[in-house]
Amino acid sequence: MGEKKEGRNGILKKSLTHIQGLDSILNGGFPTQRMTLVVGEPGSGKTVMGMEFLYHGALHGEPGIFLGFEESAIGLRENALTFGWNFGFLEKKHHLFLMEGRIDPEMVVSGKFGLKPMLSVISGKAKDMRAKRIVLDALDVLFRLFDDPLQIRAELHQLNHWLSHSGLTSLITLKPKESPPGVLFQDFFYSMADCVIHLDARLFNQISTRRLRVIKYRGSSFGRNEYPFVITEKGIRTIPITDFELRHQPFGGRISSGINQLDLLLGGGYHRASCILIAGEPGTGKTLLVSTFAQKVCRKGEKVLYLSLEESPEALIQNITSAGIRLKPFLKNGKLLCMGSMPEATGAEEHLLRIMDIVDKIKPHHIIIDAISACERMGGKPAAFEFLMRLLNFLKERGITTILTNQTSGSKAQMEISGNGISSMVDTVILIDYIHKEGETSRTLQVLKSRGSKHSNQVRELRIEGDGIHILDVYAGPKGLQTPRQVKEAKDPIELLQRIKGGKK
Amino acid sequence: MKGGKRNRSKTAAPYHLRLFVAGEEPNSRKAKETIKKLCETHLKNKYKVEVVDVLEDYKTALENNIFLAPTLMVISPPPPVKIIGSLNDTRKILDALGLRESEEET
Repeated sequence: MGEKKEGRNGILKKSLTHIQGLDSILNGGFPTQRMTLVVGEPGSGKTVMGMEFLYHGALHGEPGIFLGFEESAIGLRENALTFGWNFGFLEKKHHLFLMEGRIDPEMVVSGKFGLKPMLSVISGKAKDMRAKRIVLDALDVLFRLFDDPLQIRAELHQLNHWLSHSGLTSLITLKPKESPPGVLFQDFFYSMADCVIHLDARLFNQISTRRLRVIKYRGSSFGRNEYPFVITEKGIRTIPITDFELRHQPFGGRISSGINQLDLLLGGGYHRASCILIAGEPGTGKTLLVSTFAQKVCRKGEKVLYLSLEESPEALIQNITSAGIRLKPFLKNGKLLCMGSMPEATGAEEHLLRIMDIVDKIKPHHIIIDAISACERMGGKPAAFEFLMRLLNFLKERGITTILTNQTSGSKAQMEISGNGISSMVDTVILIDYIHKEGETSRTLQVLKSRGSKHSNQVRELRIEGDGIHILDVYAGPKGLQTPRQVKEAKDPIELLQRIKGGKK
Repeated sequence: MKGGKRNRSKTAAPYHLRLFVAGEEPNSRKAKETIKKLCETHLKNKYKVEVVDVLEDYKTALENNIFLAPTLMVISPPPPVKIIGSLNDTRKILDALGLRESEEET
């Protein structure tokens, strides 16, 4: 088989698929001049993977042949165009050739037959166009024509022998459980193929997720996890989670939060390239706190991506004007991009890729995600966790300051405050809370954690005024924590009475 | 290749067949013999059979989307039809040629 022909220094040659993320899962692509098997249910993305493999090959000097047993050449060309792949053009240049192996339903079977013409046609065409790649799509359909197990086995061996001597890097796709009678059809391919990949699409919490798993790769290491992938308008994309050994950028210098008193608490402001989490109940002022930051850094001419998962960008920009925060000018001059997204609109994967695309396009200095608690609506807690871990990892690698808000419910469990179990990725945690006392509700703010800096862990009062957020000292008195006003009122009961009667605001 | 060898009539033969074979492998050989016999018996002087060896002429096979051998293509009379296999069932072939009603058995 292939080994003898190849075996230079025992190093396995690989052919890049150029499919985003897949080459890194496969440690360099499909095995060159060998057989890769892709198994998946209808609609799992097998044909797209085959088309993309050939498309990129054709663009990179490796012409290819597509022999499909299910779809017509016209259908394939149309499908390819939806991904922006112009097959017609590549066919004209002889970089690509589409063969139609569909079985004519009118065909009559009388006696035994074999696959030799298929091999002869491929060989001839491959030689003519100097093809390097071949895809045999839905090969199980072809084998449905045969009914003699012995003959099927003979044909399979012939096919395998031919492929391994053809010099072509081949991709065969099959549907699982579609075996002709009496033959361990799939087993045969599993043992013959040098690389086997499973694709599947499943529904999880009503949101469709696609997964990819490499089952085996002879002579090579590969990512062994199940990797989520999506089919975007540009083809298949997957993000291997191989980066957990953390290639994170170190913190940069300090940057103001936009509120002087908060900067003092933090020991000089936020760290650049760090991840800050602001947790609190609804209405505590989380959005105001992060938009104050956005306004501050945009004024300095730095770029911010604001990801609003709960409010529309228009509503957000409008609402914060009540506290004197104006972000509109920065939308206009391009320093701020405000992106609204309905979490349940698509699965976590698509959200992730969309965000990653935008980040790489506009290269923001800072990103705000408001609020990560909404991520659960992308398909449940595990999906949200994975989404955040991968997104934060991605942002940390790029040295982007990340500010997250998290909406806690009344319980204030540590889990919620630190946000979906992502606390290992979070460098600074700020908690905003309510205290109810003397007929009024006040907001308090506390820095719970701040890596790499001295910080005060004292509780402060947070006040929202028409000119923004103010942070004031509170006092620990005999009645527990007291805001400055409460202290004053404690000294002068008349003031308290006046306020409670509704005289003073 | 032995294409067009048996063109007996001067004008276009009413029965135009094309048989794709893969060299001398047994099924192809059987199909060739069967079709020869069948034509001589049922279609004397009314047929034309082209034999294409796909191992030598892949282009004709490709043009006709032939991936299995042997394959018999009935080009005329219409409708065009493909019969795959060693042609062991004469009745099926006669059916495809529209000769079934008049000629029951060979």
